[in-house]
Amino acid sequence: MRRASGRIWWRIAWRNLGRNRRRTALTASALSFGFVASVLMIGYMHGMMEELVSNGTRVATGQVQIHAEEYEPERSIHETLGGREGLDVGALLDAVEAQDGVAGAAPRLYGGGLVSTGDETVGGILMGVDPVREEVVSRFGSSLVAGRMPGPGEIALGDEMAESVAAGVGDEVVLVAPAADGSTGNDLFTVSGIFSVGVGAFDDSYALVELGTLGELMAMDPGRIHEVAVSVDRVREAEPAADLIREAAAAVAPGLRTEPWSVLQPQLFFIVTYANSMNWVVAAFIFGMAAFGVANAMLLATFERRREFGVARALGTSGLAIGRIVVYEGILLGLLSLAAGLVLAVPLMVFIHENPIDLSRFVDTWSFGGSAVRPLLTVEYSVVGPLVSAIALVITGIAAALLPAWRAVRVPPADSLANR
Amino acid sequence: MGENSNSGTVPDAVHAGRSTEDAVQPQGHAVRTANLWKIYPQEPRPVEAVRGVDLVVENGEFVAMAGPSGSGKTTVLNLLGGLTGPTEGTVRIGGQEITALSDRELARVRLKRIGFVFQSYNLLPMLTAQENAEFTLLLRGVPARERRERVRNLFDEIGLEGMEDRFPLKLSGGQQQRVAVARAVLGEPDLVLADEPTANLDSATAEALLDVMEQLNRTRGTTFVFSTHDPRVMERAGRLIRLVDGRIADESTPDGA
Ligand SMILES: Nc1ncnc2c1ncn2[C@@H]1O[C@H](COP(=O)(O)OP(=O)(O)OP(=O)(O)O)[C@@H](O)[C@H]1O
Ligand SMILES: [Mg+2]
Repeated sequence: MRRASGRIWWRIAWRNLGRNRRRTALTASALSFGFVASVLMIGYMHGMMEELVSNGTRVATGQVQIHAEEYEPERSIHETLGGREGLDVGALLDAVEAQDGVAGAAPRLYGGGLVSTGDETVGGILMGVDPVREEVVSRFGSSLVAGRMPGPGEIALGDEMAESVAAGVGDEVVLVAPAADGSTGNDLFTVSGIFSVGVGAFDDSYALVELGTLGELMAMDPGRIHEVAVSVDRVREAEPAADLIREAAAAVAPGLRTEPWSVLQPQLFFIVTYANSMNWVVAAFIFGMAAFGVANAMLLATFERRREFGVARALGTSGLAIGRIVVYEGILLGLLSLAAGLVLAVPLMVFIHENPIDLSRFVDTWSFGGSAVRPLLTVEYSVVGPLVSAIALVITGIAAALLPAWRAVRVPPADSLANR
Repeated sequence: MGENSNSGTVPDAVHAGRSTEDAVQPQGHAVRTANLWKIYPQEPRPVEAVRGVDLVVENGEFVAMAGPSGSGKTTVLNLLGGLTGPTEGTVRIGGQEITALSDRELARVRLKRIGFVFQSYNLLPMLTAQENAEFTLLLRGVPARERRERVRNLFDEIGLEGMEDRFPLKLSGGQQQRVAVARAVLGEPDLVLADEPTANLDSATAEALLDVMEQLNRTRGTTFVFSTHDPRVMERAGRLIRLVDGRIADESTPDGA
């Protein structure tokens, strides 16, 4: 019985929407625009977070790092992987790179020191790197504004540091660094390149030196490094990769600590997690406002139809069936708006993605938690944005129909029938 | 409204396991009211639309209610159909007191037992003539093919052939009237309450409609209660009730009893 009559309520709901097309179009457009706004907002936030994570992890740190257990938080130069004896760096790198989801691994040695041109001297962090391996893990190599990555006896400076000491490619600088044996190493280096990764901390205080050269300066054996930085194929899947890497590293040497970026950069992790949970808040906010307009229009529409509802009631229709018509209208309105919204949102999303709006003339780069976001108005493709927005839209359609539906349920069978 | 206050109308033991409203039909009168009052609270003075009507209609009767405008005809019909509750008094339909039923129970009684023809047709504007006519059949889950067939047969009889897919706005007043009558009788209810069913019809159509109703009355024993100003209807009625100022002024039968 229910099945036979079920379709009629959908049909009535559908025809009711077609009855006052102007109003339906207006109401639907509120929902459609809400959908578009929500998709773009979430896409924008998504893009911003991707960039934040990407900048925060791809510039230098990688998504997973291996250190000696005692390295953090003091970062003593003595706490090298495998203790003071060091380990077989090649074997460790091979073991790490053999893991699923790993794109590359790079060994690093860190020291503090002074960089001097004679006239100017600044303190900085000396980073011993393997220039070839860094290509896969960090952005130093791809962010060179002049010259190239350092070979033996060479150094690459961040652009701001280079400016501070007034050094250019080809100039000579003196490095002074405390060594592992308690002495102070110093030597003359040729500037091979200037990099600018866009994150202040690196550009103003990092100096890259070829790994072996820095080891010599700091009186460290070649088997001694402070860190292996690993880049993974998918930033969001850093955790499972870290688990694999941890196991592989433990098989090479004991006393190692392997951690994903979510642990290494808790602030960054927090804001990204927070931003993801904001998707629903954004959608709820946007559709919450649309809901009022929709509910209002539907209230008006149902009020105008009191008489019809009264007739249907008089003929024996249950109040619930009447309410159902109104809820169905909300659902259909939602689906209609969704279709229109998709037609609008998808091309817009593609267009903005392809033509990001550069706001750098108005706003500075925003730094946070060891990362930074360029002032670029863009949207990242995502399924989550449209999905969350679509669900929110349909829920809004239904929610906005509830009060009018309740009113309709309670229309008495008679009062609207008097011929006046 | 009280729950289940109707259960006293039929000995429970007789109909154990069946819902009372389905079962009570054969007993009692088609309609029986006792001291029926309807007072509309109005400024400056309340309107006493119905004032103590005691009306008994037997099963299978064909009753017409006449009276000047404002005499309370529509109000009485609304009270009989449970569309509005009385200020005082009771209404029994087929022996079942409906004044005490809940909204839901009332809706079921209307759906199963009562057909309505409203004074102002009141077709549902977003349904076609066909859909309007078959509305109660649809609510009761009658299969589509049977609905279609019944509507077609009746439409042919009352001059609505070919109008099945028109919406009410595209029908003349008389055509709408006929669809409204079709809607009331198609479900073959026990009781049809019709408020001036022929008011907007030419003679031929009015006669055709009356034929249909009379036939139902004769073959199925359907009880009809009309309100009317139309002498044609009064002529055909088995009994004529005159309402004046909300009271039954007199009754007569065409035979002159
Ligand atoms: N909902 C209402 N509220 C207030 N007064 C009403 C209402 N319905 C009817 N009345 C009044 O009750 C009285 C009876 O009205 P009713 O419609 O029953 O008369 P009627 O006999 O059907 O008249 P007509 O022949 O014009 O259709 C009238 O005075 C009318 O104004
Ligand atoms: Mg009337």
